[in-house]
Amino acid sequence: MEGRQLISVIDDDESVRESLPDLLKECGFDAQAFSSAEEFLASDQISETKCLILDVAMPGLSGPDLQRKLTQRRQKIPIIFITAHRDETVRPRLIEQGAVECLFKPFSETDLLTALNSALRVI
Amino acid sequence: MTESAQSGKAIPVDAESSSTIPLETSILTGAVPLESILCTEELKRRPSRPPDHEKENRALVALVSALADSPSTIFQTLAETIQDITQCDSAGLSLLTRDGKTPNVDGKRFYWPAIAGMWNPHVGGGTPRNFGPCGDVLDQNRTLLFRHFERRYPYLLPVIPAAEECLLVPFYVAGKAVGTIWAIMHSDRRKFDAEDDRVMASLGKFASSAYQALVHIEDLKIQVAEREKAEAEVRELASGLEAKIRRLVEANVVGIVMWTLEGAIIHANEAFLHMLQYSRGDLATGRVRWTDLTPTEWRDRDERAIAELKATGIFQPLEKEYFRKDGSRVPVLLGGALFERSGKEGVAFVLDLSEQKRAERALRRSEAFLAESQHLSRIGSFSWRVATDEITWSEQLYRMCELEIGVPVTLELIRTRVHPEDVSLIEKMKMVHQASDGGNDFEWQYRLLMPNHSIKYMHAVAHAIRDQDGQLEYIAAVQDVTGRRLSEEALDKARLELARVARVMSLGALTASIAHEVNQPLSGIITNASTCLRMLDAEPPNMNGARETARRTIRDGHRASEVITRLRALFTKKDAAAELVDLNEATREVIALSLSELQGNRVILKTELADKLPVVKGDRVQLQQVILNLLRNASDAMKNINDRPKQLVIRTEPSEGNRVRVSVEDVGTGFEREQMNRLFEAFYTTKSDGMGIGLSVSRSIIENHHGSLCATSNEGPGSTFSFSLPCETAVASPNGIAAEKKLAARQD
Repeated sequence: MEGRQLISVIDDDESVRESLPDLLKECGFDAQAFSSAEEFLASDQISETKCLILDVAMPGLSGPDLQRKLTQRRQKIPIIFITAHRDETVRPRLIEQGAVECLFKPFSETDLLTALNSALRVI
Repeated sequence: MTESAQSGKAIPVDAESSSTIPLETSILTGAVPLESILCTEELKRRPSRPPDHEKENRALVALVSALADSPSTIFQTLAETIQDITQCDSAGLSLLTRDGKTPNVDGKRFYWPAIAGMWNPHVGGGTPRNFGPCGDVLDQNRTLLFRHFERRYPYLLPVIPAAEECLLVPFYVAGKAVGTIWAIMHSDRRKFDAEDDRVMASLGKFASSAYQALVHIEDLKIQVAEREKAEAEVRELASGLEAKIRRLVEANVVGIVMWTLEGAIIHANEAFLHMLQYSRGDLATGRVRWTDLTPTEWRDRDERAIAELKATGIFQPLEKEYFRKDGSRVPVLLGGALFERSGKEGVAFVLDLSEQKRAERALRRSEAFLAESQHLSRIGSFSWRVATDEITWSEQLYRMCELEIGVPVTLELIRTRVHPEDVSLIEKMKMVHQASDGGNDFEWQYRLLMPNHSIKYMHAVAHAIRDQDGQLEYIAAVQDVTGRRLSEEALDKARLELARVARVMSLGALTASIAHEVNQPLSGIITNASTCLRMLDAEPPNMNGARETARRTIRDGHRASEVITRLRALFTKKDAAAELVDLNEATREVIALSLSELQGNRVILKTELADKLPVVKGDRVQLQQVILNLLRNASDAMKNINDRPKQLVIRTEPSEGNRVRVSVEDVGTGFEREQMNRLFEAFYTTKSDGMGIGLSVSRSIIENHHGSLCATSNEGPGSTFSFSLPCETAVASPNGIAAEKKLAARQD
């Protein structure tokens, strides 16, 4: 899939890892799923990734932990956080720390694509 | 009589006397008959000597003279006269006596006060009234002449010399025989004759007069003695009283002043002078007058006292003031009397009341201070004297109860203020007093219900004391703690609110957890559905992909459903135990757990638990949650009730269809008919702070136990919530087994 931008999805929930990459591919993106932040960090996809769709709460490194690590590594990957905890106080905090968007599960395709457009414009 | 007397030996009657006259009263039958010793009739037959009137007259004059000169020896003189006139050997008198000596007409024996002649040594002796020569004379009421009377009266045998003949004559006083005079011949040298009889009769009359004269003299002696004794006592009393009065005056314990009605002071003791700063020299000048010592405004009182003195001779103690010498005033108490009723001089005592007045002022200050302190601290005081049932309130307590200060305090009055649900302080005091036999200290809290329906909270501390008379009295300090109580209630309310917020917050956390669990599969469902649509919209449609995503959508839908199912199981505790439950016991445990909360809400709990209640099968903890929920709801429903006791009845009973019913009845606000259908809906509540899930969950639990939960409005105030469950025998019946299986299936 040459020319397609790689979107990496990191979520400990399997249904997200299965469904979201498929939707992204249907929307014209290349997509790769990881079950944890550690798995993503250990992969060779970091530099290829144009946008990171990142679960907030995960076993091991959390989404914001990974965000901090990437910042420390000076790897500027736009991040869209996704979370099943509808905590309105989390969203502004994450955006303040550099996230493009924070989507509450379940989110619509439109909201996802809007956020992706924003993220990819950042690049 | 003594043994020696019975043996015939002479017994002295009077130890002081030398007499050996026997007195033998126990020998009631004589050795010979009376007739055999009497020879009275011979007196008439014997030749009589001529009367010697001259001698007789001389003798009588001598007797009268002796009576006048020497009454104490008149009986002896009479005896000698008898001997002289009758020329007998012995002569004497016998007088009836009770005690052996004092003459008495009702006496039981005779004694011999005087004897002349040969029997003289026997003075003081005597004979019995009922068995002797003198007694015979009195019985026959006439003169008798005896011959050898010792033949009938053996006790006379030792009396020597023996009597050959004895002439006995009775004498009388006021018609009653009181004694005899007698003449005895110890030999036959001479016989008594009719002349002796006549002379003796004459002397008998004299004996009667002498007897009366002596008795009269004795009476006079007694009267004189008594008068002398009384006079001596009066003299002694007078001298003692005078001494006491002198001591009183000189002791200077009180001021004593002697005065005239005109205003002069005749005499005053040191205490009086010291009180008014005068010296004895000042008094001697005569210029110190009590009228000048009295300030003008007190003179009316002096005038009233003088009027009283003139009318009654005394004036009652009164309080007034005197001027001291330096012009200052001294408060005094004085009272006094005239020396003589119509006189113009008298005496008064004067007490200096300065200290007392100072003490009274101090007491008034102290009382005012106490009253002000009570007012400031909102503490009233209360006393109850047990013996008299007398109740006393401080002014502050009247103010606290909003009653007019000074109205008599009665139990009825107290009850008009004490909250109908509460026991008043005085009733509590009486209970404590009866229970402890007095003397116990205690604390008590109660409420007042004021006329405007506001409530005051009182806290009393009572202390039992004994007064100076030893009588038991309870003293209590009563504090209005309404402010504190309201603060505590506000604090409690804040705590409850905090607890509610905490519950809501934990519910929020739970909700978030539920949302997370549900949102995950929902997210998958939506994403897969979106993907599916895109795959179907593609040219050509990606049917395999669409099928796969649709399959995932279905899978995630199931997953969401499973989450909901798990949550339901969590809420309804589907792993409920099925055990035998005694609902009485379960109810008692719930009551024990809720008692402090119910008491805090001032709920009066009444339990009516049926005996021998059949057991039910089910989850004990869940059923207890239902009972607890119903109890709390009932208590909450009565929270704002103030016009009636907050009575809550919890009842267990067998009910129709082999079931057991538990009901909780309150007198609270109740519910409207239209609310009835919604009561058991989840999230429906009539409470300001309720979540509206208690009754819903309760009904769910009861229905899981094949029971029913229902609510009814009471005929009076409030409502009744009850549930009924099949009892264990019903569960074991064929239908019950089916029901049990159904229950088991649900629990799986």
